[in-house]
Amino acid sequence: MASSSVHDAIIDPSAVDLWKTRKDRARFQWSSLAMLSPAFALLIILFLIPVGYAVYLGFTNLTLVGPTAVHWFYTGTQNLQRLGSDTEFRSSLELTAFFVIGSIVGVLIVGYGLASLLLRATPWVRVLVGGVVVIAWMMPAITAGMTWYASTTAQGTFATLIGLSNSDFLGSYPLLIVTIANIWSQTGFAMLVIGAALRNIPSEILEAADVENASKFQRFRLVVLPMLRPTMTAVVLLVALLSLANFSLIYVMTQGGPGNATNILPLYSYQQAFEFNNLAYGALIGNVMVIIAAVFGVLYVRVATKRSK
Amino acid sequence: MVDVLETPTPLERPEANEETQGKKIRKTFSNGLLLVFGLLFFAPMIWLVFASLDSQATWAVEWPHFTLSNFHTVMSGTDLQALVNSLILAIVSTAIATTSGMLAAYSLSRRRIPFKGPLLLFVLFTSGVPLTILIVPLYQLFATYGLLSIIPTAIFLAVTSLPFEIYLIKNFIDAVPEDLEEAARLERASTFQVLTRVIGPLALPGIAAAAIFGFVNAWGSFIVPLILISPSSQQPAPVAIYGFIGAANVRYGDIAAYSLIFCVPVFILYALSARLFREGFVLGGAVKG
Repeated sequence: MASSSVHDAIIDPSAVDLWKTRKDRARFQWSSLAMLSPAFALLIILFLIPVGYAVYLGFTNLTLVGPTAVHWFYTGTQNLQRLGSDTEFRSSLELTAFFVIGSIVGVLIVGYGLASLLLRATPWVRVLVGGVVVIAWMMPAITAGMTWYASTTAQGTFATLIGLSNSDFLGSYPLLIVTIANIWSQTGFAMLVIGAALRNIPSEILEAADVENASKFQRFRLVVLPMLRPTMTAVVLLVALLSLANFSLIYVMTQGGPGNATNILPLYSYQQAFEFNNLAYGALIGNVMVIIAAVFGVLYVRVATKRSK
Repeated sequence: MVDVLETPTPLERPEANEETQGKKIRKTFSNGLLLVFGLLFFAPMIWLVFASLDSQATWAVEWPHFTLSNFHTVMSGTDLQALVNSLILAIVSTAIATTSGMLAAYSLSRRRIPFKGPLLLFVLFTSGVPLTILIVPLYQLFATYGLLSIIPTAIFLAVTSLPFEIYLIKNFIDAVPEDLEEAARLERASTFQVLTRVIGPLALPGIAAAAIFGFVNAWGSFIVPLILISPSSQQPAPVAIYGFIGAANVRYGDIAAYSLIFCVPVFILYALSARLFREGFVLGGAVKG
């Protein structure tokens, strides 16, 4: 869905040769502008301007309380220098990388595995298991965070199931557990989308591969995977963006702790801004996140355009 | 969307006479594997269900001392107020996002607009920006103008779902045949009439899906209201749930019951949207040769 609309946006014929007055095409009407204005006014006032303002705030000394809460000013690269020597920021970057990449890999593997198994399953298994996975995906982040907190802490469901009821998984492997929780809450979407893409592969192509004596693995690597590529790239982009911005799930489970063990960028930004009162520095960390998100976006557009050539 | 749970597939379709022993074993194996996966996915939810029905619930998972009193407790007082606040937040936000989103989508889909390509790219860009970074500047903005309350927050939440809603609705309007609109124009229908009588009904699945997306987005939001709403009487349910956890005297059963109640609207809306998508368009007969 998303991938095709990117394309429509980029290669839209009606956007080209604008100023040639052609009489066989619809003319510009002022009412179009009126219809566009509510949405774009909202987007500009509450989105574009705040983003620009956030970039600026990152280079000031604004705080939540104290004298610089009112009389704050531009401080040049002072915050940047601080960022460069901030070991907590560096470790936060590493945690974020683990969390995001781990989530992407996990969601793709589990999502694909479930989707392809569901295709072959008996109906009642399909409805039951598919239903549970979809419910996990629909659950609001705050609830998901709480159920995962309850089930991975000491005496929780997983500890009890394994028989070591006193082991506190969340306390011992916090980053791993929050990553698994994130995979758990995003797999349902990947499963549905990949499942739909799998069903769209014409059976003739698969039969042709069989006729050519392709092995199972060859069939997967040379036929199924290339046909799934557009879907997979879209899933990767979405999971990357959603994980990068994930705040609620981790905040409910660990608040970035224990220590700073799960303090990924959104939590660190929040911590600096609203717990250490350092609004400007928090904004600067947010800017780093925008750059990372933009890199993902550019990579996605690259991959998507390459495909169409 | 949920089709994947139902429709048989090309991968599956076995040749009639080739139902061999091997295939049966494979099928049993994949069913078994799926059930294991299903159990793993279900495991975290067990606590939620058990604790909500348990009069002596803790973080530990155990067979409940059955009671419904947890549900009664949380459906009153400030907890109920928080659910109502969530509803206000979600409805206001959905109404704003869907109305302005539909107007923009129609215009982007049908009208000739200068710089349409860059405009659509801008919309796409806004849907990819991590929301967390908007929190600091908006807090600053809202604090300066005394807007730290529920309605301005609802408007901001509308903006966060607007880009995706525009795309979703535009895709559906693109699929409505232009002939239908031209027919209405010939009958001297105004743009407003075209929107409400032609495009609206025909793109309804897309508009409804967009509205559901917006509603779920606002309903589940946690950090935005946590920071942008200052009076505690206006805080929505997610913040209330978080408050339960931090309370001096943690009421585990109430947390679980309240969380379950909080999930219900989301589940219902998703089920509805899956159905909308499955019914899809029945436009085939609308335009004749």
